[in-house]
Amino acid sequence: MSEFSGQTHGDTPAAKSAARLNDEMLSSMAPPTWRWYALAFVLGAVVAWGLYAFSYMVATDMSCTGLNRPVMWGLFIVSFVFWVGLSHSGTMVSAILRLSRAEWRRPILRAAEAMTVFSITVAGLFPIIHLGRNWTFYYLIPYPNQRGLWPNFRSALLWDAVAITTYIIGSTLFLYLGMLPDLAIARDRSSGWRRRVYAVLAMGWRGSAHEWSVYRKASTLMAALIIPVAVSVHSIVAFDFAVTLVPGWHSTIFPPYFVIGAINSGVAAVITLMIVIRKAFRLEEYLTPQHFDNMGKLLLVISLLWSYAYFVEVNITWYAHEPIEWEVFSFMANRYTPILALMILANTVLPISTLCFKRLRRSIGVMLTVSVLINVAMFIERYLIIVPTLSRKNMPFMWGSYFPSWVEISIAVAAFAGFGLLYLLFAKWFPIMAVADVRELKEREAEVRLGRAKLPADVKDEL
Amino acid sequence: MKKLTSPYTWGMVIDLDRCTGCGACVVACQAENNVAVCGKKEIAEGRNMHWLRIERFWVGEYPDVRVRFLPVLCQHCKDAPCEPVCPVYASYHNPDGLNGQVYNRCVGTRYCGNNCPYAVRVFNFYSHEWPPPLDNQLSPDITVRSRGVMEKCTFCVQRIRRAKEEAGGEGRMIRDGEVQPACAQTCPSEALVFGNLADPKSRVARLTRSPRSFKLLEDLGTHPSVTYLKGGGREHV
Amino acid sequence: MKRRTFLQLTGMITASAWLSGCRQGNERLIPYLVPPDEGVTPGRAEYYASSCRSCPAGCGILVRVSEGRAKKIEGNPLHPVNRGKLCARGQSALQELYHPDRVTRPLRRTGPRGSGKFTGISWEEGLSLLTSDLAGLLRHGTGDRLALITPELRGTLAELTAGFMRSFGSSRRLAFELLSPDWLSEANRRGYGLADLPWYDIAETRYLLSFGADFVESHLSPVQYGNAFGRMRQGRNTVRGHFTYVGGRMSLTGASADRWLPARPGSEGVLALGMARLILAESLFDRDALAANGVQAEQLLRRLDGYQLPRVAELTGLPRHVVAEVAREFAATRPSLAMAGESVAFQSNGRESVRAVQLLNLLAGNLNRPGGVYPSTGPVNGGAGSLAELLSLIGDMDSGRIRTALIYGNPVHSVPPSTGFRQALRKVPFIVSFSPILDDTALEADLVLPDHAALESWGDVVPLAGARREVVGLMQPVVAPLHDTRPFPEVLMAVARGLGGGPAAAFPYQSWPEMLKGSTARRMGLPADENFEGVWAGLLQRGGMFETGSGPTETYRPVFGPEPPQPAPPRFAGATGDYPLHLQVYPSTAFHDGRGAALPWLQQLPDPLTTVVWGSWVEINPRTAAGLGIRQGDLVEVTSPRGSLRVPAVIYPGIRPDMVAIPLGQGHRGMGRYAQGRGVNPLELVELLREGEEPLPAWNATRVRVTRVSGRGELVTAGHPEGSYRSDLVGI
Repeated sequence: MSEFSGQTHGDTPAAKSAARLNDEMLSSMAPPTWRWYALAFVLGAVVAWGLYAFSYMVATDMSCTGLNRPVMWGLFIVSFVFWVGLSHSGTMVSAILRLSRAEWRRPILRAAEAMTVFSITVAGLFPIIHLGRNWTFYYLIPYPNQRGLWPNFRSALLWDAVAITTYIIGSTLFLYLGMLPDLAIARDRSSGWRRRVYAVLAMGWRGSAHEWSVYRKASTLMAALIIPVAVSVHSIVAFDFAVTLVPGWHSTIFPPYFVIGAINSGVAAVITLMIVIRKAFRLEEYLTPQHFDNMGKLLLVISLLWSYAYFVEVNITWYAHEPIEWEVFSFMANRYTPILALMILANTVLPISTLCFKRLRRSIGVMLTVSVLINVAMFIERYLIIVPTLSRKNMPFMWGSYFPSWVEISIAVAAFAGFGLLYLLFAKWFPIMAVADVRELKEREAEVRLGRAKLPADVKDEL
Repeated sequence: MKKLTSPYTWGMVIDLDRCTGCGACVVACQAENNVAVCGKKEIAEGRNMHWLRIERFWVGEYPDVRVRFLPVLCQHCKDAPCEPVCPVYASYHNPDGLNGQVYNRCVGTRYCGNNCPYAVRVFNFYSHEWPPPLDNQLSPDITVRSRGVMEKCTFCVQRIRRAKEEAGGEGRMIRDGEVQPACAQTCPSEALVFGNLADPKSRVARLTRSPRSFKLLEDLGTHPSVTYLKGGGREHV
Repeated sequence: MKRRTFLQLTGMITASAWLSGCRQGNERLIPYLVPPDEGVTPGRAEYYASSCRSCPAGCGILVRVSEGRAKKIEGNPLHPVNRGKLCARGQSALQELYHPDRVTRPLRRTGPRGSGKFTGISWEEGLSLLTSDLAGLLRHGTGDRLALITPELRGTLAELTAGFMRSFGSSRRLAFELLSPDWLSEANRRGYGLADLPWYDIAETRYLLSFGADFVESHLSPVQYGNAFGRMRQGRNTVRGHFTYVGGRMSLTGASADRWLPARPGSEGVLALGMARLILAESLFDRDALAANGVQAEQLLRRLDGYQLPRVAELTGLPRHVVAEVAREFAATRPSLAMAGESVAFQSNGRESVRAVQLLNLLAGNLNRPGGVYPSTGPVNGGAGSLAELLSLIGDMDSGRIRTALIYGNPVHSVPPSTGFRQALRKVPFIVSFSPILDDTALEADLVLPDHAALESWGDVVPLAGARREVVGLMQPVVAPLHDTRPFPEVLMAVARGLGGGPAAAFPYQSWPEMLKGSTARRMGLPADENFEGVWAGLLQRGGMFETGSGPTETYRPVFGPEPPQPAPPRFAGATGDYPLHLQVYPSTAFHDGRGAALPWLQQLPDPLTTVVWGSWVEINPRTAAGLGIRQGDLVEVTSPRGSLRVPAVIYPGIRPDMVAIPLGQGHRGMGRYAQGRGVNPLELVELLREGEEPLPAWNATRVRVTRVSGRGELVTAGHPEGSYRSDLVGI
């Protein structure tokens, strides 16, 4: 906190009026430029292509994928796990920071939480996309039905469905709750039908002291509740693999390992996003190197944790040397050497060696490289968990290999575009910066004169 | 609720010392169960639909080289890894100890296929067609599976059903050897023996007690209903 | 009450809307109250007994028929040959019936020969075309310029074709089959004075020594012997029969052996004689048997003096101690059984080598004993010399002496091109094919008169070397004919009737089924009157005559000429320098000699040893392949003095490094969508060897060289190439 305030001088946010703060932070909601349209068009086109690929798959059959026996899961599930992991960014980061009262969190809250909602939404699509008969996905929904059958609650996939739904609902609420006061600001600053929409969304927020008090309690409670949900979601995704008999998946370290991996990719994604938003909306004043420094420290810790978990997993397999498991690992190392090396470089070597240094943590370029590479590595990690393992299952006669087809690649790429598009729309229609939160910080950092003494404007802390 | 019990526990013994690897069982299974014909491309992609395969292993080097054949079909595990993972109960256990697959229930998560250590579950990646008049051969006793569903060996459950009806009509149990899946029925060297494991005097139960018996991937604890008998001899390997 | 009415109405409207929407589906259902066709009970299958003609073994089958359609072929448990068991080929006969590319009506050629351009004609037109052609021959008194080419036929169809050709005064009735066991009956004639085929009691033997006899996949009666093999291994309480296989390539049969002796190609006879000498020298032979057959052991030993162990070891390429060990085991473990097979017989010295193997049975006292070898009382084959007959016919065709060729079967694919058959056939002015599918022969024909599929046909099937007593299986139609086809025998009879005179007189029967019934009655020694109808029905129900004839009467008694067998050093086509590798062509497990190639089930069936599907391949020892820079799945060129073929390579640990092998069966120009243009026919590489003037069926005596072409062989295997070596991971 002190570091943060130490950095503020000159034309700092603290020195600006509330109106100007509002203007700046809501600049993203200004009428779209041609660049915005161009970007939206490109992303939309990619999404449309992905939709075409998906429709093609639904209309024909799954032979247009690269899936086979034994590799029955491929890029769809890799993407699913990846996007679930990414969704840990936001809520998790935001909730932890909120609870630990890290004041520097405020400018990035919204961006992170929105990312959670969108990535979990994208993630949630993949299990449905990957079904052989997508049109019967509702068989998984537990409701009294004329089929007289109930889904199987022993199946990790059903846990998945429950966990993901919970997480989508929870993180949306979390995002929405945090956005309430800002929606009110948006309402007050807009007119016409927009105003009516924002009015509905703002639920009549007027900013009274009572409202603020309830709001604060609610958001703290949500923050506390969303953390176990987030942890459980990725644990359950890990259960998809860990509860099976598949050599290489059947591993007790998977749940914590997956959670760490998820946070790793989530934090990295938040950093990437901060850099993008900072650049796109010219928010250099709000997202300072200080923020990157702090996030870099967080990333360093997670990266160390991830490396530890990976080391334990591989080391124990090597030590046990169970023939078929070792077969899986040696196959992975032999066949996928380049991407395995890239994964270790980007997930372990690079972050640990760079993030130890303050100067590098404060370099936007370095942070961008590291954070993007970590997500590349995390994607590879999921690929290496799923594909080589299934390629070398217990029956050597039925070993196989897998390479994604154009349909799978299209859909996976479209997922990124779709995520981007959702984000683009969100940033245009909703305040991407947590205006109220930032202003609250300003208020608190402001000092009031009381006699001779200068006192903080706000002596009461949160809670 | 009444607990479903059955006087039958179907099981199979595969004597590797008798098996010559000829492939008669593979075609018998395909003919009996409306298993789709898969072209070269399909098999190259690893999407062969055979419910029963004969694995061939080479052991040793010339001239001391040997071949081992291992017919692999659904092992109808008592603790089947495919069953708990299916989110919609398409894969289920029936009271006879069979590992059933309800095709119209299956949504195609392929989770069962991943979790089956024997890799005996096959998925309809393709919409299979039988160019007429080849479709005349399709058996009316068995569903023709649509694309997007898993399928696998059923121990020819349609034959078991029929035998049960007939035996039930006569008020008796199914006799030993009365019902046989297509593979066991056709096996020239009688390497496959099918029967009721719950009857200790049945041929299959007696063979299961052979000192040569072992289960495939026994250490996984799936408790298969298929017992293999080790190939004897081969002392010159 | 009101609400209920509303619901009822809604329900009715919905149901009627739904029903009208589904009308199309309903029309396909069999109405419940209106009975469908005669004999059809929906949901209830009927079983009809018949016989399999997918290979000469002639197993008994039961066909499950449901709603008038054949659904499944199973073995007939009453049939003594296959005892309710059936191989992959037999079960696939169903697809022969329902093949989408069957010839549905007679065809007349419109384009040039081999172009595959045909136009459909009526049977009347087709028959009149054939009849007028044959009438022309008769008119000119040149009935002997008619040739009839068939596979080896046994039973009533053989009688019919013989009668037909006799009535023309033509001797050009050729029954040729590449894999025919002529060589075996010839060896029996020379060895025992009985030109028959042996029946091996594999089930009861304790030591089986097979010299290239692949009884599990192709030799004589595979289902029967496969079953016997199972019983030999585990059918007895305390005895597990031991099995040693001799042959340069480990065949499917060899794969089940306890010991494999990869003897040099062409040296098997020497190996057998070396073992015989050792057995004699160490006095391990059966004295009683030798005495009973009047063979002097000392004399024989002297004659075999040239087969001392060191020389045998050198010629065969096998370690001395192994040869001696196997010889001792064979002689000491009684009953034992030695068999000779095609890979031995199809060498230049095959005839003598087969006799050398027979000598082992004599020495160990295996003749006419349980666990040994008996004469089978199946009718004697066409006899030796069918290759010679083929070549003489080819000569006649080539010189233009043959005017009309009636061809039943697919000789264009199954006769080695080195005989000149294909070129000679082109010189025949009028070719009629009876193939039910446009195979390579039908493509060359001027007129195609499609035969019924086996499951639509009447017939009798005499199993090849099936049992010790006479067995005749009957074929009956199990479904109504699918297309406008007619059975081959009916066509011959119709043509004969159309010609009148001698040909008509040759067939006193009204129809083919009548003739069949008549010949069956004759075989049973019964008059073909009304009383026979009941017997006939019973026979059809059971699937044939299984208990006729008395027990075994014949026994084998060796008749030694002045000399024991003396296999000459093997000769090979192709010089060692240019062509360093021996080529073995062997019948594919799925297609036999190629007749199963049209059937998708068989194409999809992984080859048991290579697990290849839908294609051909050449098997190469890993060491040889490494030397040539060839890897699994590479496209290679196999060149022999006759020509070359491009085919993917399979790394095959079970073959001698100086050998390569290509299976028969693929490489069809026609034969429907599943076989056409798939794989190669290795017969195109095979050279025809002669001994003086006499042609030798030495189909395994060609040498080749192999060179790598590219990495794209388009080889598809069902098994993972690396995983196939990792049986350690599954603990077997």
